[in-house]
Amino acid sequence: MDQSKQSRDDKCNDPYLRCAFNGAAQTALGVSRSALLAHSPQGCEYLVNNAFAWQECDYMETMTLCTKLCVDEIVHGGEDLLMRTIREAKDLKIDALFVLSACGPEIVGDDIVAVCEDMQPEVDFKLIPIQSPGFKGSQYDGIDIALDTMIKRLANDDGEKIPNSVCLIAPHANANPTWMADLEWVKQVLSEMGVKVVATLSHKTPLSDIENVPSAEASLILSHDAGQRAADYLSAKYGIEQVCKGMPLPIGMTNTQRWLNALGERFDAQKKAEKMVEEGERMVTATCRRKWPMARFFYRTPAAIVADATVGIPLVRFVTEEMEMTPELVALYSSRSSVRDMLEGELKELGLKPNVVYGTDVYKTRRGLMDVRPKIVFGSTIERHASEGLGVPYTVEVVRPMRQFRLINRAYFGYTGILNLFECVQNEWVLRWRSKDKRYEAKW
Amino acid sequence: MRQIAIYGEGGIGKSTIASNLSAALNEMGYTVMQVGCDPKRDSTRNLAGGRLIPAVLETYRDQLRVGKDEYAISLDSIVFKSPGGIYCVEAGGPEPGIGCAGRGVLTALQILKDLKAFETYKIDVAIYDVLGDVVCGGFAMPIREGFAKEIYLVCSGGFMSIYAANNIARAVQRLSRRAEAGTGLAGIICNSNGDETLEHSVIPEFARRLGSEFVQFVPRTPVIQACEFEGRAVVEHSPNSKEAGIFRDLAKQIMENKKTVVPTPINDLTELEQMYRQHLNKK
Repeated sequence: MDQSKQSRDDKCNDPYLRCAFNGAAQTALGVSRSALLAHSPQGCEYLVNNAFAWQECDYMETMTLCTKLCVDEIVHGGEDLLMRTIREAKDLKIDALFVLSACGPEIVGDDIVAVCEDMQPEVDFKLIPIQSPGFKGSQYDGIDIALDTMIKRLANDDGEKIPNSVCLIAPHANANPTWMADLEWVKQVLSEMGVKVVATLSHKTPLSDIENVPSAEASLILSHDAGQRAADYLSAKYGIEQVCKGMPLPIGMTNTQRWLNALGERFDAQKKAEKMVEEGERMVTATCRRKWPMARFFYRTPAAIVADATVGIPLVRFVTEEMEMTPELVALYSSRSSVRDMLEGELKELGLKPNVVYGTDVYKTRRGLMDVRPKIVFGSTIERHASEGLGVPYTVEVVRPMRQFRLINRAYFGYTGILNLFECVQNEWVLRWRSKDKRYEAKW
Repeated sequence: MRQIAIYGEGGIGKSTIASNLSAALNEMGYTVMQVGCDPKRDSTRNLAGGRLIPAVLETYRDQLRVGKDEYAISLDSIVFKSPGGIYCVEAGGPEPGIGCAGRGVLTALQILKDLKAFETYKIDVAIYDVLGDVVCGGFAMPIREGFAKEIYLVCSGGFMSIYAANNIARAVQRLSRRAEAGTGLAGIICNSNGDETLEHSVIPEFARRLGSEFVQFVPRTPVIQACEFEGRAVVEHSPNSKEAGIFRDLAKQIMENKKTVVPTPINDLTELEQMYRQHLNKK
């Protein structure tokens, strides 16, 4: 391949992630009794709708507004229009209105912070400006921007700490379509350990919870892709210690065990943690013995993992230990140094040397799959298409976008999560045998 | 139709050159339209008797405010004929500190194009007086969108004005490859800051380095300043003055000059400084 052709190909990148505006909207929509005002052209409202779906918001409860910027506002500035729109929304029965600015108004310099300050006396709800133009980065960056703004603008520190309490930083950064079930599992575990959740940032979170964040003793991040900035700020400003830092999330036996034990140790509930691990592992082995999962046919099968870091990193150990496959490609959407450190630590511990791609896009994934030629890919519907013609017989859809398991939340975390993942693999294995062509590929 | 754009450092006197050029061309019998592409909307002041005419973007905004759309704008509301018979347009733009002037220029030019202003008034020469202080893509719009075909750079003997002109030449070099065929640098005009000896030495050299021509020297004289204060073009206010002759000569040269080049700007600041220093030391 000549040099010019190669450089052209290298620039062909279809991203997995949406922009910062989308990430900020996802986070803001997680606050209950609030509305979101997109200070943007109409097209960006599509991203808000997407974020709406990711947060599983209810159209009956949450309203999204848009200033619908046109050329006049780009030329002359859109602050007047933003003021008018806020004024029109003043009768809404909400606690907060998040004003999110998109690329256009940020480029021309609309000062949404000043507008919100000017308009605050006119409305009964809190106006929270979030400067989140899409060009600031990916949706992960948008989540960080929104969390940063929300905490800095809303948190009230009265100095009182609630014993055994935690602030869950649970941005919906992961491509896990079942993240709410994971969140519920975490909350249940914490409850059984006697730990109070002060606030969840953010999913159906009342404004008062965010105000109380400084009273938490600890923070717990349920993502490897976003939220670390918020945890660092809470630690520096309010002395809130981060637990389970640098540890893969609880997907698979070992990860769950490590994670539960770390929590138990921090909150003085070791016995409870040990019991959870013991019961969980017994349940998984007993279920597998009875149900006889077909997944065992994948012994030492070359595998590829294409996912966000939140799911992708713990999945490496799950695929290696539980499924007994051999990961030969790990492609992660993120490329942050914390993500690199964590994955490299895991690979070293497991004695694996797969091809690793950070900050992957669809093109890089396809190139990675071409190099490795795995038999099974853990990824999304995109990887199913990206694998076309490469002789990859199985694509297990475990991350967004996916076509299966979209209606009911199914956890990946914890012991039920292990069985859910087993089931995903087994279904793919069974479905593959329905096609003569694919059966041939799978067999030979 | 000839489409001529005047570029140069902010405050260098582009509007003075453009308006006097328009008046001289009008006197020669051409149908001229001067388009001021600056939010300050002061380009056509010299032609409109010292008054500021309503701008395209303000008219557009007023229409939107009363619930009309952009199609409600008519040419009558944005094109004004000066007492001397020159068609004057001001793009206008946002208030200082908000919005995007560059986008405004493009929008205004697009409105003129959509309304077929040049065809309607049978314009022979369109002069675009381009904003000087904008460094974003909006500054390049008249070139990129094919409105400006022949580009004249205005500079004085001040180093920074030459530096700015050189930067503009870099933009012209890049954009002339993409713009419609024929767009390029047509020449350099000196609007003197008073140091004539230096200017007569350095500006022709600078023009040569760009691969272009030194077209005209416009002296710094009380006559031009007085005309400007009165809001009149020199050929109208002082038609028998030496300065009127200079602008007539400029108009004649421009109409005769149909050659444009892709400029070869000086990319190294040190080289530009050396060139300037050589001429400074000659004095």
